[in-house]
Amino acid sequence: MAPKQGPLDEVIRKRLLIDGNDAGDDRRINLLVKSFIKWCNSGSQEEGYSQYQRMLSTLSQCEFSMGKTLLIYDMNLREMENYEKIYKEIECSIAGAHEKIAECKKQILQAKRIQKNHEEYGVLAKVIQHHPDRHETLKKLDAMGKELEHLSHIKESVEYKLELRQKQFHVLLSTIHELQQILENDKKLSELEEAQETSMDTDPKP
Amino acid sequence: MERAVPPTVPLGQMEVFQALQRLHMTIFSQCFSPCGKFLAAGNNYGQIAIFRHSLPSACSLSAALSSEAKEESKKPIVTFQAHDGPVYSMVSTDRHLFSAGDGEVKAWLWAEILKKGCKELWCRQPPYRTSLEVPEINALLLVPKENSLILAGGDCQLHTMDLETGTFTRALRGHTDYIHCLALRDRNPEVLSGGEDGTVRLWDLRMAKEVQTIEVYKHEECSRPHNGRWIGCLATDSDWMVCGGGPALTLWHLRSSTPTTIFPMWAPQKHVTFYQDLILSAGQGPCVNQWQLSGELKAQVPGSSPGLLSLSLNQQPAAPECKVLTAAGNSCRVDVFTNLGYRAFSLSF
Repeated sequence: MAPKQGPLDEVIRKRLLIDGNDAGDDRRINLLVKSFIKWCNSGSQEEGYSQYQRMLSTLSQCEFSMGKTLLIYDMNLREMENYEKIYKEIECSIAGAHEKIAECKKQILQAKRIQKNHEEYGVLAKVIQHHPDRHETLKKLDAMGKELEHLSHIKESVEYKLELRQKQFHVLLSTIHELQQILENDKKLSELEEAQETSMDTDPKP
Repeated sequence: MERAVPPTVPLGQMEVFQALQRLHMTIFSQCFSPCGKFLAAGNNYGQIAIFRHSLPSACSLSAALSSEAKEESKKPIVTFQAHDGPVYSMVSTDRHLFSAGDGEVKAWLWAEILKKGCKELWCRQPPYRTSLEVPEINALLLVPKENSLILAGGDCQLHTMDLETGTFTRALRGHTDYIHCLALRDRNPEVLSGGEDGTVRLWDLRMAKEVQTIEVYKHEECSRPHNGRWIGCLATDSDWMVCGGGPALTLWHLRSSTPTTIFPMWAPQKHVTFYQDLILSAGQGPCVNQWQLSGELKAQVPGSSPGLLSLSLNQQPAAPECKVLTAAGNSCRVDVFTNLGYRAFSLSF
């Protein structure tokens, strides 16, 4: 920027600071100064008095606007304090919310684990349901065991009878054979005796 | 970007070449750095790109806005040629980034990785049966309890490498076809592996042998013979396991080895993971699917790639609520989801 603009900026800055929102205060003070000089130079008593009254009213207007500005400044200060307080509160609640979020995330993990266990249980339960009930199977096993015992008893007794009959038949058959043998022996003996008798008959005298 | 380009190519052709490269790029693997601020992505040309993704410091509105403001930083900070072949898998420990490709695994220091011309710390090859084999390493898994790294891939074995000494301690055999994916079961120190042969095998690390085999395709409820029997993705939650691929995506209860829920998704899924009470899966098709354990589809969030191959969650312990999900696949873009409900923005190679 050109060096001549420097003091111009300063002037603009000062004027904006003095009366930035154009409420007419600056104009009023200038008017007051001009009217004071006019009043000093006024001629007649009435004009001077009316001008004096006008100056007093302008002055009171300036005082009024000054009072208003002071009140606004006070209010702004208090607003800022209020905002600081609210800001701190919100910060605390944000931190609290963060913690709650972390807590909830842990709970989510826990819940997911529980859900997983639940599902695993459900899946296994389905598989187990396919297989028949254990009590029924045990009962069936018991019944079959008893039947098996019963049948084996019958088998034993039948075998025993079979053996007994075998032995009895064996005894019978061997007795028959012996008898046969005895009869044959007797027959042979009697034949021999007959043969001896006939040979003695045919050969009587030496 | 460093790549093999003849030096006499004129500028127009170079741009065309770059554009063609980006068009045909597939991002196979992603990994977050231990501090959570960087994402590494590996593609089919063997390059690894590091993107800066700074986490919001507190989960509040201002943080969400700040992550929007990072729109202009969608390009990687640094890109380097890591392997000659594709980078199929990456994992990260506190200080190192491990990347695996065709037959070899390399280690990089996170502290050095941002500097230009960074060199790998070491490059090792697991002992293959014949020296002619160079099978790809499809999956890497860190076992923090015994400070070791498990590699699995084309040679159908799981190799364990001790991170302190660098020696390969075990080779677990059992799979009859190559292995796609690995998962770690925390409670009992077991590793699950899923492969092309359609089985999911559980291996006990202390006894170094196979504990259980689940033949997924043999179960009628989940098998889909028209897709094949390959298992493309695995995730486990100690008691439960999700696997998918050729057969439908299914939730299994490991102790009873029964399939409990079949997720009604016709497309084969390539990556699945447990997250809070949901199961996230992605595969053919541009969406990341969110399932509840009962089989209901809770949400389907579309991404920007036509197919997705990997999902990664930022599991930084410092801010467990601010998790970020990234998804990448058949394109040069990595989608970032800050809230699981929508795609926030995309990073691009």
